[in-house]
Amino acid sequence: MQMLPEQLINGLIIGSFYALVAMGYSMVYGVMKLINFAHGDLFTLGSYLGYTILVFGAGWVTATFGIWGGVIVAVLGAMLGIGFAGLILERVAYQPVYRAGRLPLVVSALGASIFISNGIMAVWGPRFQAFPEVSIPTGSIVLFGDFRITTLKLVTILVSLGLMGLIYYLVERTLFGAAVRASALDRDTATLIGIDFRKIIRFVFFVGPSLGALAGVFVGLNYTRIIFTMGWTYGLKAFTAVILGGIGNIPGAMLGGIMLGIMEALFEGFVSGAWKNVFVFLILIVILIVRPTGLIGEKIAEKV
Amino acid sequence: MKKTNAWLFAIVVSLALVLSSCAQPGAAPAGTIKIGLQAPLTGDFAAEGQWAKQSVEIAADLINKKGGILGKQVEIVIADDASNPKDSALAAQKLISQGLKQVIASYGSSVTAPAADLYDENKVVSVAYGSTAVRLTMEKQRPYFFRTCGRDDTQSEFFVKFVTEKLNAKRIAIMHDNQDYGKGVAEDAMKFLQPYIDSGQVEVVYYDAITPGESDYSAVVSQIKAINPDVWFFTAYYPEAALLLKQAREAGVTSVFVGNNSVPTPEFEKIAGLDAIKGSIHLNEPMPQFLNFPESREFLDAYKAKYNEIPGSIWSVYAADALNALAAAITKAGGTDPDKVANAMRTMTDAKGITGPLLFTERGDRKDIPYYAYIYNDQGVLELYWPK
Repeated sequence: MQMLPEQLINGLIIGSFYALVAMGYSMVYGVMKLINFAHGDLFTLGSYLGYTILVFGAGWVTATFGIWGGVIVAVLGAMLGIGFAGLILERVAYQPVYRAGRLPLVVSALGASIFISNGIMAVWGPRFQAFPEVSIPTGSIVLFGDFRITTLKLVTILVSLGLMGLIYYLVERTLFGAAVRASALDRDTATLIGIDFRKIIRFVFFVGPSLGALAGVFVGLNYTRIIFTMGWTYGLKAFTAVILGGIGNIPGAMLGGIMLGIMEALFEGFVSGAWKNVFVFLILIVILIVRPTGLIGEKIAEKV
Repeated sequence: MKKTNAWLFAIVVSLALVLSSCAQPGAAPAGTIKIGLQAPLTGDFAAEGQWAKQSVEIAADLINKKGGILGKQVEIVIADDASNPKDSALAAQKLISQGLKQVIASYGSSVTAPAADLYDENKVVSVAYGSTAVRLTMEKQRPYFFRTCGRDDTQSEFFVKFVTEKLNAKRIAIMHDNQDYGKGVAEDAMKFLQPYIDSGQVEVVYYDAITPGESDYSAVVSQIKAINPDVWFFTAYYPEAALLLKQAREAGVTSVFVGNNSVPTPEFEKIAGLDAIKGSIHLNEPMPQFLNFPESREFLDAYKAKYNEIPGSIWSVYAADALNALAAAITKAGGTDPDKVANAMRTMTDAKGITGPLLFTERGDRKDIPYYAYIYNDQGVLELYWPK
């Protein structure tokens, strides 16, 4: 009976992608009370950026430092690029309409989402792109029994868990993190006690999208195939993970993402693939009925 | 003043064009037979439309070189249906209003359906070449509708024959994507497998759907690995097929992978990679490069001489065969009267096409449509596998 641990690990991999994307949603929501609909598309853009680096720029890196060298360059390049794309997005699409209330912000977010995904389609084309086979690390190891996992997947899990831990530490245990949490709690008071709110916004709009870009490049490396609409699929699942864990709260997003991935794998593996999404969203509804703030959501009292 | 002149000129020219095009319809000059071709020259299926146009023109040239139909030259009249049902109806109206009695139309079941109704109501014999939905012929009887391509359930029937006669497989997994086409093929496969299941010769060990559009199918792959079927039949589209196969081979699944006719494409090869596709088997209508009748060689040579390549898909070759079928039926009927031609289509027994004998059932389906299993060799190139 090795099916159970096997499916748990499958779920952990799917879940870490959801969690990485979900953290970006949650960070922005926490500080700005804005659902950044363009986040899924920044994730896609990150994937395409990584693809472009691997196809055009990283040839000599791969040749000089080996295949993992190329991967590291692609990942860092995409994270940096999409971090700045996040900053530009905030400056162009959100900052001008902050004072206009929440509805214009949401409309602006939807517009940005459509703009980015159509921009990707215009630049890279509407067909599937495949990450170049030569720059994807191969090799796999046997974990237990005859359960084989590719080295790349193992690296994916370790990197995402490591990064999640780092962000958790940064936000929950440092002074800067306290400022981020204070801004999320009450923006006006935070400003009064001397926290630079603009700086906090720039932080979440840089870190959130670059985590998404990391997930994007790893999706491309693991599954080869990328398409300009994939931000929608991942964005929806990640958003679900955010709600499941408790919106606006970073550990909640991680937990929600990983739980969602594991529930999907278990249900698909043991019950029925056709009914997977029905089941997953049913659980979401039940959790929201029992705990409307999500699994470890913000305490309402704190916000008053 | 200059502007007025330009306008006047434009009006005169367009009037002249309208008059000249009015002069043509119906009153075909003696010595030609006009046959319509409705094809998706623009829109999503534009590539298929172009291939169909080129193939039909080549087939018409070949007929004309041999003396035409009943001594008259064939002339092809083309209408673009833009790959969508709305423009399909317009294209059909256009061909009908020109007084054509025989047309070739069209690619895509949902595009063909509205046109087929119009042709039928106006007593125009229409022959589809890339519309495989079962409902086109089985939902209602259209007396003037035919098709040279196969039907979706033909594929399922062939699959059952293939696994029971060639692979001798016992434990079979069937996977679809819960969408119209994939689910249809899977359900039909179950239907045709039923007698073998009842007699205990085969066992369906997995029957379920995946969610299309996702990237990680490892949960399903683990399940397939645990079940370890002899044959794993996948009945949906290439993007999911490529990911499933790649992830399965990485996880160590060794079952024989059988894909349906929407799987083997260049994209499938690129996404899955050579290591994964090697040895996978795909069911398909005959691919143009494997056609081997005397008529096919003649057609492919002529096509290659003009375009330096062979048609990119079988569907355009079926379009050429639609013309061959109509030519044979008109010859048999001794004229273009739609009732006589439709009757001749149903009863003719000796018409030979590029894709084999052109025989039709009472409802307008092609009889004995050949299906083949192709296998990717070690270089990632498709080879004929069965029947040889």
